[in-house]
Amino acid sequence: MVKVKYLLIGLMMVVIGCVIVITVFPREEKRVKKQFHLLSEWVSKSPEENALTMLQKMKNIGSLFDAHCELKVPDHSLSGTYTREEISTYAGSARSQASQLDLKFYDFDIAFPEKGVAKVTLTARLTGRSTAGEQTDDTRELECVLKKIENKWLFSQIEVVEVLKK
Amino acid sequence: MTVHHKIRKFFFPSLTPKFLIRVSLIALFAYLFFGYLCIPFTIQGISMEPTYHHGGVNFCWRLHYLFSEPKRHDVVTVRFAGSKVMLLKRVVAREGEQVEFRDGELFVDGKEIEEPYVRYPCDWNLPPRQVEENHIYVVGDNRNMPIENHHFGQASKSRIMGVPLW
Repeated sequence: MVKVKYLLIGLMMVVIGCVIVITVFPREEKRVKKQFHLLSEWVSKSPEENALTMLQKMKNIGSLFDAHCELKVPDHSLSGTYTREEISTYAGSARSQASQLDLKFYDFDIAFPEKGVAKVTLTARLTGRSTAGEQTDDTRELECVLKKIENKWLFSQIEVVEVLKK
Repeated sequence: MTVHHKIRKFFFPSLTPKFLIRVSLIALFAYLFFGYLCIPFTIQGISMEPTYHHGGVNFCWRLHYLFSEPKRHDVVTVRFAGSKVMLLKRVVAREGEQVEFRDGELFVDGKEIEEPYVRYPCDWNLPPRQVEENHIYVVGDNRNMPIENHHFGQASKSRIMGVPLW
């Protein structure tokens, strides 16, 4: 009986240890996903958002990108290399045309082809309403490359995958 | 055993090993069946009106094309990066065929195709294009919108997830 008691205590300690290790030292995959969650949070916009929050979010969006990021979004005439300031400005101007925005990411497939590089394939869905009152609903498959720079995962490439070719 | 006792036993069964095994098996079966074979989804958007309405609930049956190929007029689900977000579209042409729209009418290999499911007026014009190998051409039933605003085109067969159950 005493042995079983010690065995259970030992097992519980192992489980608690594992939880602590996972919480304190999150896996790289989780840290990559967190960048997408931040991007989603900062791109999304509620109708009550004030100018101060908008400016802060614009600044925050830029901090998620590498100094130079390659974008391939033909539908929005974005093709080439952009600085994080240019991306911030573009995001700000796009957000100002919407009264409400909600960006969500689904079906993450994360691979690490080499050290410090993450390749992520996922589905992005942007819904919302323009300032003119028109509904927006756009879903795209994205291929993103993130690079680990100064211990932070930053977007260095975003490409829209053509699922349906007209 | 009284009725009251039977009802109580039904809602609060005793947690015997046999009962726990049965519950685990049912949960595992439901997870596999509804997660991989018969995926529930809600329809969002009007691109398949009037056949499928916004807000409708359906299931994607994944085994439909296990031993067959998508045929013209089949309604299929097309995946993005995974199965969480899919497109619901109708197959209008298969690989090697030539698709064209003339004043809203569908032409495949130069022959006009009758589409009884298209109920709303359409004025689309699309020059002829060949469907690539291992691809199918999909379009929504609701073509009562500018051609630029409708998400359609050729998709790789590997992106076909299945068919809606009804």
